[in-house]
Amino acid sequence: MSIEIRAIGKRFGSFVALEDINLHIPSGELVALLGPSGCGKTTLLRIIAGMESADHGQVLFGGEEATHLPARDRKVGFVFQHYALFRHMSVFENVAFGLRVKPRRVRPTEAEIRRRVMELLDLVQLDWLADRYPSQLSGGQRQRIALARALAVEPRVLLLDEPFGALDTRVRKELRRWLRRLHDEMHISSVFVTHDQEEALEVADRVVVMNRGRIEQIGSPDEVYSAPASPFVYQFLGNVNVFHSRVHGAWAEIGRESPAAYASAEAMAFVRPHDIDIERQPVVGSLEARVQDVHLIGPLVRVELAHATELIEVELTRERAALLSLVRGQQVWLKPRQVRVFALPETTLEDEGSGI
Amino acid sequence: MSGAAAVKRALAEPRWVRVLLLGVGLGFLFFFLALPLLAVFGEAFATGWTAYAKALDDPEALSAIGLTLSVALFVLPGNLVFGLAAAWAIAKFDFRGKSLLITLIDLPFAVSPVVVGLVFLLIFGAQGLFGPWLAAHEIKVVFALPGMIIVTMFITCPFVARELIPLMQAQGKEEEEAALSLGATGWQMFRRVTLPNIKWGLMYGVILANARAMGEFGAVSVVSGHIRGQTNTLPLHVEILYNEYNAVGAFASASVLALLALVTLLAKTIVEWRMRRETLMLKAELPPEKN
Repeated sequence: MSIEIRAIGKRFGSFVALEDINLHIPSGELVALLGPSGCGKTTLLRIIAGMESADHGQVLFGGEEATHLPARDRKVGFVFQHYALFRHMSVFENVAFGLRVKPRRVRPTEAEIRRRVMELLDLVQLDWLADRYPSQLSGGQRQRIALARALAVEPRVLLLDEPFGALDTRVRKELRRWLRRLHDEMHISSVFVTHDQEEALEVADRVVVMNRGRIEQIGSPDEVYSAPASPFVYQFLGNVNVFHSRVHGAWAEIGRESPAAYASAEAMAFVRPHDIDIERQPVVGSLEARVQDVHLIGPLVRVELAHATELIEVELTRERAALLSLVRGQQVWLKPRQVRVFALPETTLEDEGSGI
Repeated sequence: MSGAAAVKRALAEPRWVRVLLLGVGLGFLFFFLALPLLAVFGEAFATGWTAYAKALDDPEALSAIGLTLSVALFVLPGNLVFGLAAAWAIAKFDFRGKSLLITLIDLPFAVSPVVVGLVFLLIFGAQGLFGPWLAAHEIKVVFALPGMIIVTMFITCPFVARELIPLMQAQGKEEEEAALSLGATGWQMFRRVTLPNIKWGLMYGVILANARAMGEFGAVSVVSGHIRGQTNTLPLHVEILYNEYNAVGAFASASVLALLALVTLLAKTIVEWRMRRETLMLKAELPPEKN
């Protein structure tokens, strides 16, 4: 079922949590709400679930008005970051809960409940845990049970609030692939909230990047990564080097945008660390720099270089680094493969930038 | 191994400190708790079993026991509902004046019971705020059961709420939200999720409130009027008998109160044990993962 969000706004006192949010989630899509903490992504998810009410705007499920529908009538499956399993109930009873609280005339029989619950536990591959209590499960198991519980009521949409946030890296990676496969099997519209860009890019069909209560960009994982719509998106998705173009006029020229447009204005150039080549000889449009440090990080080599007063990060493959055989203090030339120039100095850059 | 033992030794107190602490603790318990309790029963049975039975078979004593129980019977449900509502409001909602409510709940602990009695005398007494209206409608509050229930209610109202607030705050509201999103009604959510999570804390609060309700003296003394066989609760009855130099009667009644206290203590221990077992069960070591 599709979800439509129209002009949603929400304030907590003087804090603006959401401002004029418009979003359409087509049926069967898996969408990530991505942003730093406090950007309003969880608030938006809770408004869709009916656990929070918006100050204004509309929520529609499958074209039907649902703005004032109470949470229990929305038929929404919700998965919490900290699982929120019923601690005094066994795994079986947790999953059965949604079926047992149905009004008597539509409530399945005991045998039917049993069959459905075991089927769901089978789906999340934890049928052997039916008699355990939540406290006896590991984090990853708890989250899968929470998912089975949410699916038991056959929800129209599935909402997940930082579903893997409390798990360790290995389990997290395993679970998100599993979630993707599950979604492909069930084809239920799903929205999940995350602050982990890698997670969003890997799992989602579409990514909604949010910042300070607004949507910065909506697009496929590839779009938001390779064609960021704003400096914020550029910086939030992956590492980036930021240059002030008045210092690096030569680089602004290399960018796709015409430098003339920014000639008088303050502009900034963004370059990903893996989009910079290091040369031992000067080439056209290259920038002189000095090697400060070389770190070996797994399959990559991260080189820190100094140009004038600024620090530049470059990522190379091990092979390329071996070829260059860089040493500290060495003089090199940098050549960017892809540069993006944004006009207008954004104050957010100074606040949250991971760049220089 | 020896290293660990050395660390343990380094962390442990010297032997004499442990003996001293243990001695002080046990000595205090004996002189201030066990000895008085023994004295009560000793004095009550000083002139034999028959004298004890006779003292309790007295209609005034029986009426005092009955009155004490009926005050508790009225006070506890009220307390339970108030405590639950207040704790729920404080733990699960944000509203203006929340901290004021938390402070007010503690008020009965801070005010002397005698003052409480006087306050309600001023409100419901013949010269009081509602006095003339109550008199006109022939409703007796002061010097009657309703007055005693009201002051006892006031004195004991913090117990349940105090017990539940931290518990409910710690548990948060996610489980309730999960229940609602799964289609539960408000009542189903309360009965199937909230109540099972707080039942032992609730029980504990009620037991404490009950102990206090049965033992309350000061406030009840002011509003009861000490009418023998009518408005004397057990604590008041004990005092009257004692003032009349009826030691056996006084201590026999006191022993009933002490017995109620012991039963309460037993119930409290059982509840505490259940609570601990539940938390232990919740924190039980995970079995090795089999993914």
